[in-house]
Amino acid sequence: MSERVVIIGAGHNGLVAAAYLARAGLSPLVLERRDVVGGAAITDELHPGFRCSTLAHTAMNLETRIVGDLELEARGAVSIRPEVQIFAPNLDGPPVVLREDTSATSDGLRSLSTNDSAKYPKFLRSFRKIGAVLRPLLTMTPPDIDHPSTGSLWDMGMLGLRFRGLDKKDAFRLLRWGPMAVADLASEWFETELLRAVVEARGIYGTFAGPRSAGTSVGLLLQAAAGGSPIAPAVFVRGGMGALSDAIAQAARDGGAEIRTGVDVDAVRVEDGRAAGVVLASGEEIEARLVVSNADPRTTFLGLVDPADLDPDFLTRIGNYRCRGTAAKVNLALAGLPDFAGVDRSEAQSILSGRIHIGNSTDYLERAFDAAKYGGYSRHPYLDVTIPSLTDPSLAPEGSHVMSIYVQFAPFDLKDGEWDSMKEALGDAVIATLSDYAPGLRDLILHRQVLTPQDLERTYGLGGGHPLHGEPSLDQMMTFRPLLGCARYRTPVRGLYLCGAGTHPGGGVSGAPGLNAAREIVDDLRTDVV
Amino acid sequence: MDPKYDIIVIGGGHNGLVNAAYLARAGKKVLVLERRHVLGGAAVTEEVFPGFKFSVASYVVSLLRPELIRDLDLPRHGLEILPLDGTFTPMLDGNYLWRADDAAETRRQIARHSKLDAEAYTEYGKAMGDMGRFVKPILSMTPPDPSSLNLQGLRDLLFMGRRFRRLSAQDKYNQVQLMTMSAVDFLDGWFETDVLKATMAASGVIGTFQGVRSPGTAYVLLHHYMGEIDGAFRAWGLPRGGTGAISNAIADAAREAGAQIRTEAGIERILVQNGRATGVVLDNGDEISAHIVSSSVDPRLTFMKMVGREHLPDDFVDDIERYKFRGSSGKVNLALDGLPNFRALPGEGSHLRGAISISPSVEYMERAYDDAKYGQFSRRPYIDCVIPTLTDPSMAPPGKHVMSCFVQYAPYHLKDGNWDDQKDAFGDTVIDTLAEHAPNIRDLILHRQVLTPLDLERDFGLTEGNIFQGELSLEQLFFLRPVPGWADYRTPIGNLYMCGSATHPGGGIMGAPGLNAARKILNDTRKGGAR
Repeated sequence: MSERVVIIGAGHNGLVAAAYLARAGLSPLVLERRDVVGGAAITDELHPGFRCSTLAHTAMNLETRIVGDLELEARGAVSIRPEVQIFAPNLDGPPVVLREDTSATSDGLRSLSTNDSAKYPKFLRSFRKIGAVLRPLLTMTPPDIDHPSTGSLWDMGMLGLRFRGLDKKDAFRLLRWGPMAVADLASEWFETELLRAVVEARGIYGTFAGPRSAGTSVGLLLQAAAGGSPIAPAVFVRGGMGALSDAIAQAARDGGAEIRTGVDVDAVRVEDGRAAGVVLASGEEIEARLVVSNADPRTTFLGLVDPADLDPDFLTRIGNYRCRGTAAKVNLALAGLPDFAGVDRSEAQSILSGRIHIGNSTDYLERAFDAAKYGGYSRHPYLDVTIPSLTDPSLAPEGSHVMSIYVQFAPFDLKDGEWDSMKEALGDAVIATLSDYAPGLRDLILHRQVLTPQDLERTYGLGGGHPLHGEPSLDQMMTFRPLLGCARYRTPVRGLYLCGAGTHPGGGVSGAPGLNAAREIVDDLRTDVV
Repeated sequence: MDPKYDIIVIGGGHNGLVNAAYLARAGKKVLVLERRHVLGGAAVTEEVFPGFKFSVASYVVSLLRPELIRDLDLPRHGLEILPLDGTFTPMLDGNYLWRADDAAETRRQIARHSKLDAEAYTEYGKAMGDMGRFVKPILSMTPPDPSSLNLQGLRDLLFMGRRFRRLSAQDKYNQVQLMTMSAVDFLDGWFETDVLKATMAASGVIGTFQGVRSPGTAYVLLHHYMGEIDGAFRAWGLPRGGTGAISNAIADAAREAGAQIRTEAGIERILVQNGRATGVVLDNGDEISAHIVSSSVDPRLTFMKMVGREHLPDDFVDDIERYKFRGSSGKVNLALDGLPNFRALPGEGSHLRGAISISPSVEYMERAYDDAKYGQFSRRPYIDCVIPTLTDPSMAPPGKHVMSCFVQYAPYHLKDGNWDDQKDAFGDTVIDTLAEHAPNIRDLILHRQVLTPLDLERDFGLTEGNIFQGELSLEQLFFLRPVPGWADYRTPIGNLYMCGSATHPGGGIMGAPGLNAARKILNDTRKGGAR
């Protein structure tokens, strides 16, 4: 029998898993359908001389342990942390500017509200404490409810102790905030609509939910667990997200992994109830002792495994796994830096260097969501905009810029029409929305790339166009991601593992699912379970 | 001087009365004080128009605890619960969905829409029954405090954990989905018929400021199945004589056990000395002393109005102020000259004897919610109608009928204008909506009573018009209801307890809060009384 471990998909999690399996002395083989590695963490040439993070554009959640273990900085993944984290322009008042420096942020907020200015540091402090308690969860394998191992009992016990270490007020905050609508949480803290909207945006990022949907506060808790701040800061990678994936891939190769691109896996071959290898689209078969899928759960179980090898109940449940994306992407090559309302030219370089938030109120975000609910894309979407060339001039010719725009809501399933015929209309709506704040933007556009949810699935293999490999809702989290009974990276098919964002702790460029999966696989091999 | 009473219960709603009845049965000297001239709170029957009696606010019995019916011997005190047969949902395209009281008929009716769904419906009922059995004991439990677990609290949590582990894999999966998903997402996993999902999901959002697609709404679907397993007593139904008859039966049981009940006795404030409640002051200035005060009114009234923030810790005041009410519903009560004739299923068949649900599609329900999100009442609301005179003719003169219409969404906070100005427009919208399905209704209306959320607040003391004394959202349930750290019916004021719907397990004519609180009070007094 082959000793080989085959990993399907060279997204960043697949690469992290490969690197850690290689470190453990295995020689994993990674198979990537596209010609480049990275999955959703890639850099492409958008226009001659203009390079841009095509999909994911920030890396604030990358697990620090991975950065150290894999020596990613030495391998070329250098992070950039602009001083201004978030800039939210305002058409009728001062903007919200969130900086690395909390007291400077607080000072700035005073022009909007003295209450908010006073509360902002407390808000951060409370989340930092709670985030610290939750942090170990991210790199923990969710416990098996029926047969908890000593290891997971220990983990949960430690977590329980940390929880008890919180004072009563923060302990209850943690319990209350989990299931709460992020709009309620934001309005408990702040009175400025725009600031509320900035907070809320993190709760709905990538989800099919509006700020008034219950359970959206959990996004803030996870964010705080990953990075300490509930509102995601801006962290870029020099050379774009592709540089990060390349560095992880290099670490994997250096450890002995083999990565083959341009190889389309057609099926996982199952023999006697266990994974025995993969079949390629070319017809070639590759034998393996274990197969690890970095694809999302639906694609894995409904696309790669023969239904005959799965229990019908399991198939029904995976069929009901909610994985319908609402995000799109617009990338622009710009002849120059656009002027934003309320931003002085002299400070534009710094103010615009982080993330730019478009969506000025709870109602705005909620209405953007409403559109998706009824199967249409939002005409006034929520936008998360970055201009990475401001802090990384290597991305564009001198004086020019690239702008990366994350767009929500644009539902994968349209009620009327097809995405291919709506693509440019979506792009127009995004440019029109942004032009309200940056009136001269249109004239600067040299090239525009629009990626619809359909493109996310077709080109980048994100099933249902979901950037997070499935809704990050309470019922699809932790021990329930993707499903109860298969949340420990193992699947009902022996020898088949999951390592993508459809497993705990979920989406975003963290690498944690890949790290956790590798640990479980090594454990199984050591104890000879497989 | 020795206090006059052992316990004063504030509010003669059904929970206050249950609380009083159990305390009196335990030998306590109990006085119930009710602000209105009638007992029952929101479970009240009134002759609003001459000859026409209405369950003015709450209109069906939901999950009235069977142990309570037994302990207080309510049938002997006049309680009789009549069947409410099925649910009829007319649709605008002339089709309809009718889930009758008879399983075979319901299956046949659902099969008209989808054969698969007809089969799934039986399976679904079984699964929900299992889930209901799992959840039921939690209703009569005092929630533990997870931030400072004592032995009892740990035992309770372990008990729940063990029960959860004993569930089959499929049931565990269902349970977690029920607690976290939206009603529609959950039902999507079972059914394909839109109108079926819309109508079932509607029951998950009654009384909440949530849409059928809002996460956390699936849980209430269970309530309907918990009723069926209560067995001997019918948990869902229409009390003969209206919902006021329940209150009167409980009041009767309380009086028989020795409790005194006074109406038209509003409370001005709760007397607090050295951090302990010592009695109450009535609106007319009278002072009545007691060892213990048990309040069945909501926390905002109890603490902000009757106790006063000067007696309370700051954090507690913050929490009470954060407690979310935001009522989302209104009520329209109609006196009719005859029966409405529905276009989708004409005639006076038995489809009129159950609930008539105006919930023709998921999108309809969701759009109704969207209007409320932005601060206006639904242009086309969800309406849950009942015609009690079909099962209980005593409610109206011969040949006439009363029709109770529960209307959602009607947000307490309107973006433009105020409820007094919009009241008639709201009533008209309800009639217009009904007339789309039953055009003859306009000609049948003899009288109409419109209750806006503001009316519910003013008339029934329901803050912000919330029929459950506070939103039933996950962060306000179980050990978080009404506020973190005070879910065990106690309060920061010694000898002051809460026993209303704002405590676990929440609203509906269930009686569980009143019962659980009585148990807590008796436990505390047995342990040496004064806390």
